[in-house]
Amino acid sequence: MPSAYDQMWEKLNLDLEAHEGLLAVLGKFYGDIYMSQQGRLKGMEYLDFVLSEVHGLRIKELQDAKASGKKVVGTFCVFVPEEIVLAAGAVQVGLCAGAEIGKAEAEKVLPRNTCALIKSFVGFKLAKLCPFIESCDLIVGETTCDGKKKAYEIFAEYSPVYVMEIPQMKAACDRELWKSEVGRFKSTVEELTGNKIAAGDLRDSIHLVNERRRVLQRLNRLRAAVPVPISGRDALLINQISFYDDPVRFTAKISELCDELEQRVKSGAGIAPDGTARLMLSGCPMAVPNWKLPYIIESSRAVVVGEESCIGTRNTRDLVQEGSATLDDMIDAIVDRYMRIDCACFTPNTERLDNIVNMARELGVKGVIHYALSFCQPYSMEAYKVEKALSAAGIPMLAIETDYSMEDVEQLKTRVEAFVEMTR
Amino acid sequence: MKQFQDAGERFLLDASELQDMGKKVAGVYCLFAPVEIVRAAGAIPVSLCGKREKPIADAEKSLPANLCPLIKSSYGYAVTDTCPFFAASDFLIGETTCDGKKKMYEFLGRIKPLHLMNLPYSADEPHALRFWYEEILRLRSFIEDSAGQNINNDNLRFQIRIHNKIRKLIRRISRFQATEKIPVSGSDMLSVMETKSFFVNPEKYIDLLEKFIAEMDAVAVGGFSRFEPDVPRILLTGCPIGKGSEKVLRIIEECGGAVVCMENCSGVKGLDLLVDEEEKDPFLALARRYLQIPCSCITPNTGRLALLNRLIGEYRVDAVIDLTWQCCHTYNIESRIIGDCVENLHRLPFLHVETDYSNSDVEQLRTRIEAFLEMARWSSSAQAALRKPGARFQLSG
Repeated sequence: MPSAYDQMWEKLNLDLEAHEGLLAVLGKFYGDIYMSQQGRLKGMEYLDFVLSEVHGLRIKELQDAKASGKKVVGTFCVFVPEEIVLAAGAVQVGLCAGAEIGKAEAEKVLPRNTCALIKSFVGFKLAKLCPFIESCDLIVGETTCDGKKKAYEIFAEYSPVYVMEIPQMKAACDRELWKSEVGRFKSTVEELTGNKIAAGDLRDSIHLVNERRRVLQRLNRLRAAVPVPISGRDALLINQISFYDDPVRFTAKISELCDELEQRVKSGAGIAPDGTARLMLSGCPMAVPNWKLPYIIESSRAVVVGEESCIGTRNTRDLVQEGSATLDDMIDAIVDRYMRIDCACFTPNTERLDNIVNMARELGVKGVIHYALSFCQPYSMEAYKVEKALSAAGIPMLAIETDYSMEDVEQLKTRVEAFVEMTR
Repeated sequence: MKQFQDAGERFLLDASELQDMGKKVAGVYCLFAPVEIVRAAGAIPVSLCGKREKPIADAEKSLPANLCPLIKSSYGYAVTDTCPFFAASDFLIGETTCDGKKKMYEFLGRIKPLHLMNLPYSADEPHALRFWYEEILRLRSFIEDSAGQNINNDNLRFQIRIHNKIRKLIRRISRFQATEKIPVSGSDMLSVMETKSFFVNPEKYIDLLEKFIAEMDAVAVGGFSRFEPDVPRILLTGCPIGKGSEKVLRIIEECGGAVVCMENCSGVKGLDLLVDEEEKDPFLALARRYLQIPCSCITPNTGRLALLNRLIGEYRVDAVIDLTWQCCHTYNIESRIIGDCVENLHRLPFLHVETDYSNSDVEQLRTRIEAFLEMARWSSSAQAALRKPGARFQLSG
């Protein structure tokens, strides 16, 4: 069926036929997983709308921004300081992908045993399916893991890629390295946009990104109520969309949604029947439309009340300290905030273990499901340590390793159900 | 040759004597560990990379199966305490070269004192050298404390000269394979090359290498070749191999190929990189040299292409085989870039083999490698027919 956006997509050099197929599948998948839910918040209509227009209206906005002289910067990682991009007047969008559709194309240039997330974004590019990638003036990679680091070398053959070096430890010299990388990134963005970042710009953007984190923190506090007032899937979707949507509008809309949520919590209403097990997810990020595991969990008499992941608390937990007077101090505040990220690419990364145990206790969960993408070595190796830390705290953990395919759904369901049974 | 084959056993004997006298042994896992610093503190470095399948099952009790066999084997040896070199090590030096090793060291550090060197990946960016230099100094403090001996600049300079000399000698040995007549098999050359990480006394080792060179010179004069004249000359690149994990090298030679050069950590990778002996600050000289190692953990790893370009011409290579261990993401992903260069720039056949330490795929590998060598042979005779003086040289430019 022709779409009003065909012309725009064609201009972006998408494969229109394959793209139409993708949207159809996505729509059906979303309908099955999301629209079938009972008792959803009215505020979720905004998210439904954004998702239905994720390749439409939002791309149109990006194109309009570009037409007005703005630049679009794409990222794959919560290490890229959005404050700097926004301060230079550019737009930042997350490019991580959660669908298997371009896998065959990706495997022509990448080994099969590369994680699904990497294959997905490379596949989206090669199969000409992602209008976000095609809208970007600069794509920022980082050296977080072996797979991404090397995949960017391949990706750079097709798109303008800039790579940030991420330190792997947290000593003073690592902070220094990171600070110099933030400085290099700032110069790059300034050069790209032609805008020199002034203290006032950065102060505003720090506040703006913090506000978005604050509203997501509020969401996380509210969703932890007993009984659970919002499904884990919906909360995940909100986190996912925070990477694509206009930050000002998103923050306002989610703030309204949180008001509604607050009313619901006060009224004592919940979305799941009594006896539904409260669980937490921990590990790799789940990018749109990777809702497989949350859906399996929430169809197994359990509900997800928190995501310890980059599309979750790892992205929202820490704020950049506000109130710095000078540009240098603001940069330092940004550097410090990003150094607190507890990604498994760090060694020994013991703070992640503490964060997980604390979060599980605060949320009062019955168990944790650790989710690692197949071939993601940092997270799958940490799973062993996470399990030990949780078991010392008396919290059971299930380690799942999977990818974006649907082949193991039944098998996963059996394992999740057994785990849920055990936590009772 | 016997001298080289027994190097491991002799190492253990000699090292234990010195340990009785208070010397320390440092277990290392990587070319990035600057052995000059270890030696300058009077300690003895030894490579601990696991090369056999046996301990892998034990490693998999706490490590995921989706890791490269080298990491699993190394950890398996440590956790089962079945490697005499690991047992002999007083302390360990790790590095953040890849995700698998970086995270494995978190486990290894519970067994023995381990110092982790934090390696930057964007080696060409200005921050990298500054950072790595600090890491070299941090290693210095650790080694001084662990070995109980301070390092002075003169002693370090002396070790730099010695190790430069060793690199040059081994590189010279490797060049015997560059001539039309190939005097030793790739397997034997591996035995020789491997000893570079198992010697106790550098002076004695230099002596051994020099004697071997004299012997080889004599063999070369006699025009002896270990192979048929039209044998396909193979360059083996990719992940490190050693005795126990040399199945691909063995199969290549059993199927009628000659591995004339290994561009990997067990071969000539890094041997051409010498430490600047004139630099006022020897630690800075070390930092510069070690940061240039063309490992696939570096992005972009342009040094490896430059080295391959040179080696392909130097060793009159007919075909390139890239051996990568399963789940070694960096070498696996880089393989495509290497393949593009070999096929498009050099117009040579290229084969990427991904395997592990098990023997389950030996027959399958044999079939693939046999077919590949057929192609390489065809390409080599086609090349020979077309070859004009200097033509190869231009290609490798």
